[in-house]
This record gives sequence, C-alpha cells and structure tokens, in this order.
Amino acid sequence: MIVETGSLVAPNSGLMPWALIWGIPYLGAAILAILYYLGVENKAVHGWGSVVSIGLGALVAVDALFKVLREGPIYAASTTTWVPWINVGVGVYLDGLGAVMAVIVGVLSFLIAVYSVEYMRHSWGIPRYFFFFTFFVASMLLLVTADNLILMFIGWEGTGLASYALIGHWYTDEEEYWVGVPGRKALGIPMYFTPSHSGVRAMLFTRIGDIGMMIGMATLFLLTGTFSIPEIAVQASHGGWMVTLASKGVLAAVLLVFTLGALAKSAQFPFQEWLVTAMTGPTPVSALIHAATMVKAGVYFMLRMAPVFLLGAAASGLVAGELAKYFVIVAGLGAITAFMLATMALVSNELKLILAYSTASQLGYMFVGVAAAGAILATGHAEVGEIASLGVAAGLSHLLSHAIFKAALFLIAGWLIHAAHSRFIDYMGNYAKYMKLTALSLWLAGLSLMAIPPMSGFFSKELTLKSAEEAHLNWVLGLGVLTAGLTAAYTLRMILRVLHLPPKKEVHEHPHEAPPLMLIPYFLLALTALVIGIAWFQFYPSLAKAISETLGVEAAIDTVKAVFGISLSAVTATTLGWVFTNIAVVAVLYLLVKTDFDRILQTSKTARVIHDFLFDRWYINSIIYILIVGGFAGFSMFLAGVDHVIDLAYHAAIPALFALGAAGLRALHRGRSDYYLMLYVYFASVLLLFLYIAWG
Amino acid sequence: MVEIPFIWYGSLLLPIIVGLLGLGSSRGKLIAALSAITLLIPLGIIMTSWIIYSPEEPVADSIKIDLTGYKIGYFSLVVDGLSLPVLVGISLVTGIVAVYSLKYMTTRIAEMEEQGEKVPGLGAYFFLYNLFAIAMMGMALSTNLIEFYLFLEISLIASFLLIAYYGYGDRRKISLLYFIWTHVAGALFIAGVLYYGIKAGSFDILRIQNGSLIYVPMASAIIGEAAKIAAAAILVGLFIKMAVFGVHMWLPYAHAEAPTPVSALLSPNLIGIAGYALARFGIILFPDILQKIKYDLMILAIVTIVYGGLVALRQNDFKRLLAYSSVSQMGYLLLGISTLTAFGIGGAMLHYLTHAIGKAVLFMVAGVFITELHGLRDIRRMSGLAKYYPFTAAAALLGFMHLVGIPPTMGLWSELLITIGLVKAVPLNSVDHVLLVATSLIVAYGVSAAYAFITMKRIFYGKPMEGANHEIQDGFKQTVVLLAVIGVIFFLTISLLISPLRQSVETLLLAGLG
Repeated sequence: MIVETGSLVAPNSGLMPWALIWGIPYLGAAILAILYYLGVENKAVHGWGSVVSIGLGALVAVDALFKVLREGPIYAASTTTWVPWINVGVGVYLDGLGAVMAVIVGVLSFLIAVYSVEYMRHSWGIPRYFFFFTFFVASMLLLVTADNLILMFIGWEGTGLASYALIGHWYTDEEEYWVGVPGRKALGIPMYFTPSHSGVRAMLFTRIGDIGMMIGMATLFLLTGTFSIPEIAVQASHGGWMVTLASKGVLAAVLLVFTLGALAKSAQFPFQEWLVTAMTGPTPVSALIHAATMVKAGVYFMLRMAPVFLLGAAASGLVAGELAKYFVIVAGLGAITAFMLATMALVSNELKLILAYSTASQLGYMFVGVAAAGAILATGHAEVGEIASLGVAAGLSHLLSHAIFKAALFLIAGWLIHAAHSRFIDYMGNYAKYMKLTALSLWLAGLSLMAIPPMSGFFSKELTLKSAEEAHLNWVLGLGVLTAGLTAAYTLRMILRVLHLPPKKEVHEHPHEAPPLMLIPYFLLALTALVIGIAWFQFYPSLAKAISETLGVEAAIDTVKAVFGISLSAVTATTLGWVFTNIAVVAVLYLLVKTDFDRILQTSKTARVIHDFLFDRWYINSIIYILIVGGFAGFSMFLAGVDHVIDLAYHAAIPALFALGAAGLRALHRGRSDYYLMLYVYFASVLLLFLYIAWG
Repeated sequence: MVEIPFIWYGSLLLPIIVGLLGLGSSRGKLIAALSAITLLIPLGIIMTSWIIYSPEEPVADSIKIDLTGYKIGYFSLVVDGLSLPVLVGISLVTGIVAVYSLKYMTTRIAEMEEQGEKVPGLGAYFFLYNLFAIAMMGMALSTNLIEFYLFLEISLIASFLLIAYYGYGDRRKISLLYFIWTHVAGALFIAGVLYYGIKAGSFDILRIQNGSLIYVPMASAIIGEAAKIAAAAILVGLFIKMAVFGVHMWLPYAHAEAPTPVSALLSPNLIGIAGYALARFGIILFPDILQKIKYDLMILAIVTIVYGGLVALRQNDFKRLLAYSSVSQMGYLLLGISTLTAFGIGGAMLHYLTHAIGKAVLFMVAGVFITELHGLRDIRRMSGLAKYYPFTAAAALLGFMHLVGIPPTMGLWSELLITIGLVKAVPLNSVDHVLLVATSLIVAYGVSAAYAFITMKRIFYGKPMEGANHEIQDGFKQTVVLLAVIGVIFFLTISLLISPLRQSVETLLLAGLG
C-alpha cells in the first residue's frame, strides 16, 4: 500500500489553473491555425503568438514546481468524466517528477521559440512552423503532466504528429535540406534522406512502438479497470495486476510490449534510425523535439512507470523475478544504444548528425540509469524505495542536464550551419576567431557532454553508471564507461574542427557573431550547464526533494539525498581516466600530429572498412530497408499480383465459363430438323434406359 | 425512449420530396442547399434529443407499419446507441457532400456533355443522391430484417444508377458488375433471413414495447444444419457487402469509378452498414455460430486489414488506392465485431463513424484534384501539392489520421476500443499469446500507417508539380476542411456517442450471448 511521503492518489485540487500549463499552448495553436485559415500570414503574429502562449504555459509550470517543492504534490482533476465507459478523465498530475518535467519542457520551449522567431525569419511556411511548434509544446506538456495513460498517450501522439510535420517542414525536398551525403549508398540502399522521406520514417518507426504501448494500456485497463496512473500504482502496491501477470509468466513480456512505445520514441536500439534522419527539420526543431524534449518522452515513461512497477516488487517475490528480467533487457538496450551511436558520431562529417548520434547515445545512458537501478532487484541488496530513488535520480538528473546542454549544442549548430551555408563540418573551421561568445558556449556545452567535472553532465552521468554498478550488470557498466570515453573523443573532435582548425574545404564566407535573439538563448543554456554543475551540491537537494515527492518513490528525502552522494569509486576513477585518455589522443592527433585522416582512408583498406561501417551506421539502416521495408514491399507486390488473379477469376474466368455454357447451349439449337430429331431419339433412349434400370 | 410521430418518416421523406421537385430543374444551387439541409435533419434531431433528453435515450418514430398479418412483423424506425454512430455518419457525410457535389457534378456533367454524351442533369443527380442517402438512413433505422432489405435494395438501385450515369472509365460495365455483385450479396442475405424469419414467424429484431426497445428472442430455438446454412448465407452476403478479403473484388472498380461524391458515400457509409448489420442481426440470429468461429473471423479481419493496406500501397490511381484502403478499414470493423466483446463491438461501431468521416474527406480531396486539375488522379503525376493546396493537404492529413487512429481525431477512440476488445477476447495467458497479439496488431495497424503516410508524401510533398495554382477556399473546398474538423470535434465530444453506445452494446450482447 502506498503510505509514504511522495504518493498522492486522490485529487486535491480543481483542474484550474494547472490545466493551463498545456491549455494555453493548445489554445494558442488553435488560434494560430484559425488566423492562418482566415488569411493572416504576418510572420510576427505567428512567431510571437507562439512565444507568448508557450511562455504563459511555462510560467504556470514554474509556479507549480515551487508549490510542489513547498507544499507537496498537486493532483488537479476535473469532476466530470471525459470519456465514460473507459473512465478517462482530465487530470493534471504534478508530483515532483511531473512538475520538474513541465518546467524543463516549458522553459526550454520558450527559449527555443524565441530563437525560432529569428531563425525562421527568412524561411517559408512560418505559420505552419509555429502552429506545429506550439502544438508540440502543448502536447509535450500534456504528456508529462497527465494523470492517466490515455491523456499521456494523446500528448504522446501529438508530439509524434508535430515531430512528423516539422521534420518534413521543408517538404519540397531541396538538396540543402537533406541529411546524409547525396549519392552515397550502403549495401545498395541510399544513405541520404529528403525531409519528406525522413518525416515518414519518423512517423512509422515510432508508430510501431505506439501500437505496443496501446496494447499495454489495454491490458492494464482490463486488469485494473482504470487508466489512471496513481490508481494503477495503488493496485500494483497490492500486487494486483502484477501478480496476475507474473503468475502466468507474462509480466516481463507484457511490460516490454508496453515499453515499446518508449523505446521507439527515445530512439533506442533497434529504433534509433528515425532520429538520425530527423535532422532534416529546421535546427530549432532538432534542438527542442529531437534533443531536449520529445525524445525524452520515453525516458519520462520509464521514470514515471518504473517506480510504479517497483511497488509490485515489494508486494510479491514472484513479481520481482519477472521485473528484474524486464529491467535487465531495457538496460541492455540502453547500453547497446549508447555505445553503438557514440561510435557512429566519431566519424560523421555532418554537424547535426554528430549531435543526433550523441542524443540517442545519451538517451541510452538515461535508460541505463533507470532500468539498471530496477535490475538491482535481482541482487536483493537494496530496499525497493532506494532502488526507485536511484533510478529516478539517475534518469532525471541526466535528462535534465542533457536537455540543457544538448539544446544549447543544437542551437549553436543552427547558427554555425547558417554561417557556413553547409551542414558539413568540412566547410566549417576557425570559428573561434569570429564568434567568441558562440565559441565559449560551444565549449561549455561540449564539456558538459564530455562529462568533465564540474559540468552538470559529469554528475548526472556518474549517477547512471552508479545504477549499473549497483546492479552488478558488468557488461552494461563496461559499455557505459567505454562510451564515456568515446563521447569525449567525438565531442572534442567536433569542437576542435569547428572552432580551432581551419576548414577542410575552401570557403568564401566571412562568419560573424550570431544576432542576439539567437545568441542569448544558447548562451544562457550553456551557462546553465556550468552553473548547475558548479552548484551541484546546492542544487541536488531540491531535485532530491522533488524525487521524494514522486509517485511510487517510497523513500524519505534523506534516502533520496543519499543516492546523490558521489563517492570517488573505482568506477569513477576509471571513467575519468579513460575520458582524459581519449581527450589526450584526440588532442594529439588533431593539434600536434595533425593527422591526415583522408589520406589514411585512401591508403588503408582496413581503415576504410571500419570507417564505412561506422559512417553507414553499422549498416542497420540498410538491413532494415532490405529485410523489413523490402520484405513488405515485396509482399505488397505479391499481393497485388494475387489481387489480379482474384480479379481475373471473378471477372474473366466466371464470365468465360458462363459464356462457354451459353455457347454450348446455343449450339444445340441450330434450326435443323434432322439435328433435333437425332437429339430427340438420343435423349429418349437414354431416358428409357434409365427407366429400365430403375424398374429392373 | 422518446417516441415522436413522423419524426423519422418525415426525415426520410423530405429529401425525396426535394429530389422530386428538383427533377428537371436547373437551379442547382437551390437543390444542393435544400438537399443538404434535409439530409442533415436527422443529425439535428439527434442533437436536439441530446439537449432535451439525454444521449442515452433511443429516439423512435411512434408510427409503425403493422405487417404481422403477413408474418413479417412491424416496420418501425428507431435510433439507439448502436445505430447512433451509423446514423450520425450518414446524415453528416451525405449532408456535407451534397454541398460538395454542386461544383463537382456541374463540372462532371459539363465534361461529359463536352465529350458528346447525353447525360441526365443535376436535378436527376440530386434525386438519385437523396434517394441513396435516405435508403442508407433507413437501413440504420430499421428494426426488421425485411425492412432493412427493402432499404438495402433501394440503396443499391440508386447507387447503381449514379455509377451508370455519371461514372468514369467503362462505367456501364462497371455499374453492371457492381449491380451483380451486390445482388448476389443481397440474395444470399435475404435467403438466410427468410429461413430465420419464417421459422420464427416474424422478421422483427427489435420491438418497441411499453416505451422501451427490446430484442425479439427469435433465434434461440432455431438450430440445426439448415440454420447453419442460412447463417452462412447471411454471413457471406454481408462479407461481400463489406468487401472482406476474398469477396472484395467488386469494390475497387465501383468505388474508384463512381463519381467522386458518390464514392465518398459508397466507400465508408454503405459498406460499413454491412458491418453494423453483422453486429445488430448476426449476434441475435446466430450467436452460437459466431462464438464458435470468432477466432477464424479475427484472423480473417487481420488478413483483410493487411491485405487491403498492402494492395493499396501498390496503387497509382488515388481513388483506387482509397478503395483498397476501404477494404482494409472494413477489417477493423470485422475485427472489433468478431471479438464479441462490448468494447470490440462498440469500437467497431465508433469506427464506422471514424471511417465515414476520414474516408469521405479523402475522397473529397481526390475529387478536388479531379475537378480543379483536369481530372488528375494518377498519383505518379502528383507531387508537392501541399504547396498549392495547403488546406486541402491539411484536410487529407486529418483524413488519414482518422484511418490510422491518431489523435486529435476520433480514430483514437475507435482503435483503442477495438484493441481493448481484442485483448479481452485473446487473453494474454502465455508469452506466445502476447507475441501473437502484439505482432498481429503491429503489422495490421502499422500497414495502415504506412500506406497513409507514404501516400501523403507521394501526393503532397516533394518538388511542386507544374500546372497547379494556389487554392482559393471556396464553398467546394471548405466542405472538405469542415468535415475534417468535425472529426476533431467528435474526438473532444466523444462522450455523447460513447455512453449510449455502451448501453446498447451491452444490451445487445445480453440478448444475443446471454
């Protein structure tokens, strides 16, 4: 039974004003759409209209967070049911997790919306851009504050729709908006993608997961009679539905199907491909949707549901076994993703692609953080409350710090790509000379990604590794440590090449510093990454407080604070050592030796094979296209053939049969009396013969 | 229950009167407007009843035709929760498409006359159109199997003539093909129905008694081999009408070559009624047989969804693609019904309306290009049309979102209910079951998403094609946007449909399966 501090299972407030968090942006989006339909195409109206509606929503979210930290969770629900029969109401659930997420989403969206006003000024399709942008923010806020799975799913699908539309924003598919090297193929499959193609990919990849999520929701509903997350948590704490599923041996399988949505949304292996090509969208979109917020929805799902699942583990040992299995699989997928995508980032020559690989890789860490903590169950070492605290602390901290530094990195990339008139880093270089503040921002955000103390990224990544360590998942831990070094390497390579080394290809541009509306948002974000890191020991108690006020985290605030404690363990030392080794290697290769990698690739076949393997993303895209897309396309062609046969059978064969019969019957009637006479005699004798046999 | 005299008879008669008055008249605008208004009356009646009474109350016409002397039973007209989405769908779509028809058919008739063909004018079109529309409403309102069959025949004859007069391609041959197929279906249906009705001494399924609507327990005593054959005849008849895999072959021809406003009614509205009839009559007439073959039906449904979707993916004619998509969507209806759970059947009935809106929007979009881009319907020649037709593109996206079940369209609710029904019917008792359910649904729903979004890309994205101009939102195209937006409104106000639906489905299951 949920009794302890954090859990709130009954509404304690009316719907207003908390529903305004997503209500205002939704209203804003609707108004923008109507204005556009009525013919208002003024860029400022759409841009600032979006900024204002997002800003107001964010303000309510900030207010909510302060209230939650002060007075405990808010559960605001409408008194009427929205969808009877399946008992879906409208409710805003602002426990520590929900409130923190709402603030992260609200504030980042606001900053990126401001940046967008400047960034999109010279582009086309601005009303559409800001409509989907605002709609996205509203959906994302709905997702993280929903009190029930259906509302969460509606936000979830809304973000997916906006993501689809914004990835394909420049749907006329000019080459400058592509991702990948035009003309390049791997295993015969093209490795360059138009915006409209990327949009379809994003939609279909995530849709697969969403269907799994829907099946999971349906299953939970049939077992619990509700979609309400707090209610499901209460029932889990009694054993309830979890015991029912565990006793049939299907708990892990059902939860995995349920989690497919999260894995797809957060681009975890084997779903990572959609995120990579999502980079065809305008860069602010990549920053907001494909780095800072939407791709975190899967992590949020884990943060929300893992403590709920863990409640069941406390109730029954049978559940714990299945649950540990589930968590190990999820943690494993996270670790594989983290490693795999980091290796790809090492060789990429597109600025946004490097960041995209890095995003998926870092999301992997977050999955490891939450899920590996859950896997501690199998060791039997820790209390369920501690496990949940560690999981949420690790996942949420890294989510937070990554949201900030990665948003900064993408926004910077937006400016750099604009300055270089190219998405390839070959055309960038020496930018530190021309744009000091941008360079400083890139260094700050980059160091955070490299997890160098005292940047915020260091502390949060430590926590995720701590989860893996305490679960004794050595291979997960190993991959995590390995990846930390690779992360430092690819980040430093990117920074050096863009800021301090001359461009590889000849350029005629004279870059200059970004305009204030663009510079200020990313400078602030990069600074925040530093400030949170420096003030980590002042900052984390608030986070711990929020976590202790989170549904299903049955731990007192001191327990949660203890989780945050960083001890200089062997793992930390190893990780740091490995990170600095990588940094040193990259620095030496690029700055001292000035290695000519292009020549190595030309002369060494081995180098080329390795490079191509990484550059073409482990050939996973090609394999998916050949096996799955190709399989379905072939099957579709086959079925079209089958359809043709069915068509012929009904509309050619059957009519032909009738025609034949008709011709046969007609042939009997030729109007010749000798013929008729003969027929008469023949049939009469046959009849007589029958009669004779019958009587005889 | 609310009983008002002439409320439904009147609603069915008015469009006919408008049609008759319009015959031979050339005032197309007036006829279109009057047709639209009279066709929307049933929707108005239902909404008024929501406000005055409650959504749960069935609304009946207190006039009933007593044919008990001929052992047929009573012909009455009632709408309850089960038929609510059907009636709303028909009234809404036929009303809005009536307005849309004006420009489309004016262009079409002029085009045919230009080619030297003699073609009946707009007046004749609207007469047949209204006849077709009210025949479908009659089916939704019927309480008696013979009554249902009579309306079915009227709808077939009206739609046959619409295709024969105004259709595309080899329209005489195709209309005949349509006529024969649907009459084979009708004959099978009525043959089975006659067996059950004569055995039971009445063809009533529902009866109004003491102010409430009850199911007539006719079938419980009718068992045996002959009953099985009769049930099979009814099932196959309905499957042909629904265009379930195997007997779907007439649909791509009829729906692709019908004049587009008629496709917008044929494709979602008419064929979906067969699904409604399966739920309404099948569960009462032969519940045991359905219970026995429900897993086979679920497999058939999944096969239909996947087959229709994948064949749609190969089409280059926009309308033929939509026609195959309708085959696929009928799989959703069959899937929901075959679970024999309240959620599944409720979801299927909701999906009737979802599909009615979504597919009508998509056919209307196809019609916009046919009218404004010189008969363009070959997808291979379309590209980047969103650049010229942003609002039409938005409507098309919403249309596809209905079919795929993406909020904020009401498709979410129908897909969700069907999914809950399926998980209830196939309990997740072993890892194999989990994998089976997950794989089937991921493939089935996934294929729907694939053809929907790939088609969006082929038509609306990419390098803008030559020869198109920027759209002007006239009444013609406003109807398309309006219908798409109504689907979003239903997403928000679904409780108006879902509460009465729940009550009716549970009553139905109680009456049929006990």
